[in-house]
Amino acid sequence: MWRQLLKPVIQLRHSDNHLLFISHQNVYQQFRTTFILKRRWPPGLVKKGRDPSTRKMRARHFIYDLVEDTNVRKKRQLEVILTDFVAGLGNRGDRLIMKQKAAYHQLLLPGLAVYASPENIEKFSLSKDDVDYKPKYSSPFVLKTISILQCTNVIVLMNKDVPWTIEPWHIRMSFRKAGIHVPDDAILLPEKPICGPNMELENKFFEVTVTINNTEKVPVKCVIHHWSTYVSDKLTPAEDFANQPQTPLFPVTASEMDSDASSNLSTDTQNMQ
Amino acid sequence: MAAVFGGRFTSCFFNVCGLRSGKFVTSLSVGVHEVLQVRNYAARKGTREKARKKKKAKVEVKKVGFIPHNLRGKKAAPVITRRIDDSLKPVSPDNVWLSKFYQWPLYSFSDAVHCHRETHHPTVYNSPNEKLYVNLELNMRAAKENRYLDEFTRTISLPHPFDADKAKSVLVFCKSTELQKKALIAGATVAGDIELIKNVQNGELSLKDFNFVVAHPDILPELVLVRGLLKRKFPNQKSGTLGTDIPAMVSRFCSGIEYTAKADQYLKDFGWIFTSIGKLDMDTDHLEENFSVLLKDVYSMKPNRVGPFITKCCLVSLPSPERLKVDYNLYIDEDDNEKQEEKEEDEEEEDETGEAEVKSSVVV
Repeated sequence: MWRQLLKPVIQLRHSDNHLLFISHQNVYQQFRTTFILKRRWPPGLVKKGRDPSTRKMRARHFIYDLVEDTNVRKKRQLEVILTDFVAGLGNRGDRLIMKQKAAYHQLLLPGLAVYASPENIEKFSLSKDDVDYKPKYSSPFVLKTISILQCTNVIVLMNKDVPWTIEPWHIRMSFRKAGIHVPDDAILLPEKPICGPNMELENKFFEVTVTINNTEKVPVKCVIHHWSTYVSDKLTPAEDFANQPQTPLFPVTASEMDSDASSNLSTDTQNMQ
Repeated sequence: MAAVFGGRFTSCFFNVCGLRSGKFVTSLSVGVHEVLQVRNYAARKGTREKARKKKKAKVEVKKVGFIPHNLRGKKAAPVITRRIDDSLKPVSPDNVWLSKFYQWPLYSFSDAVHCHRETHHPTVYNSPNEKLYVNLELNMRAAKENRYLDEFTRTISLPHPFDADKAKSVLVFCKSTELQKKALIAGATVAGDIELIKNVQNGELSLKDFNFVVAHPDILPELVLVRGLLKRKFPNQKSGTLGTDIPAMVSRFCSGIEYTAKADQYLKDFGWIFTSIGKLDMDTDHLEENFSVLLKDVYSMKPNRVGPFITKCCLVSLPSPERLKVDYNLYIDEDDNEKQEEKEEDEEEEDETGEAEVKSSVVV
């Protein structure tokens, strides 16, 4: 227990606040620990009116038993208020309860949150009903959902023999099989209806726009694959094609490409200025 | 030299050399009889029994399944479970979410059936009359610690039967001819009384031809004669093969559904049931009734201990890979409530009748 007397301090080298960065050398702090001990042999009493320093202490009175090492105690959770959007945690103004270490290193040091003292609660805390509440994203988990949905290719299984037209519930059902839960009204199909069965459509992707929490929109690639009820007629499994580069169902025409390119250029020039 | 000095010397010398009975023996080998104590009697009482017990003591080798190489040889046994617990995962606050990061959604029975019907629609899989399977996960721990329930097979009669598999052959033993006729109408292959038992004993009737043996309590004394031949098939109340209502029992075993609760070989507390309760093109209410009957029958095998018996209930319909979690508590809690109500009624009756009686024990 006495081997470590000092611990190195983690310094924030890249923050704007120069006070947080003390020196170019490593800074060590003393371990602040309290060990609760108990005397094994009770010392004798001191006579009335006498100074307690006159108590006779023998060697046995300096034998202690360890009752508790306060370093090993469970620490209380820390309440903080976010001052900025943090992915996976919350929007500006949300109150969180976290572990002390995590709250300090991830939020307080980088300046993304403040302690939830009564003054700070009045100053920084915002709820959904407030006028000032302007969330950056509708939910802290939206960014992750968007990033994953952009990369996924959802396999839309349609029949090889029965005629069909793709409807929103087909897409919802395919998403559910892929492990993504989407309500019917959040799905926006492409303008042109897709009919089949058509072997030219096999393994070609079309884009579906998914609306998360009625705000954020993500285009998701859906790949058509035909399913035959008869075992002999079955095609190779869809999973083999899911990771390969796909060809689009509605190929982008030359005129559309030019218009897109010109619009992109205009935004770039604006940014440069 | 010795002969010159006199008789005493010679005799002493020869004695020292150990000349006995004409053979020359060294001083070491002289006292063999005296130094090595050879005993001619048995070992101390209890020594041989102890040795025998030590030989017999068998160490119970516990069957352990496959352990990955990086966990072998460690003192702490690796905790392997087949039961997936997602209660620590959060419930999604968004309307679009990935099932990987959140709890499995809990569907109502009708919603789950609707989902399966979507996947089996003519425009997709094109098999709308596929069977609907129920996958139940059980906790097979018995009332005592480290004891587990055995695998069991039960037959239930569904209120809305669907395309039956091969009809099962049922053998019926009962004394009255009326009951025998009713049994045959209900679907039994053979029905009879004491004469039939004699046929079984003779060997004219082979028990292997029949799946189930149903009997009325009257004929039980005569049936005991064939107990050894019947073995597992011997009628008993627990399995439902012994009872007074013969036609109902016969129809149950003839056209009913048989399900097996299997247990993992190494993880004995993990058990599962996989049966079909109907077809997707049946009415949702009919399917729901079949489902509740199955659940109640499974619940009747519950061991008398704290904790859930059924841990998970999923609806599966092949060839779709989807497993839709269904809330089974709605169909079981009713039973518990009924039992509690019955107990309360009994208590009320007791209070009314026995006011003067002093109650020594309190019924909880």
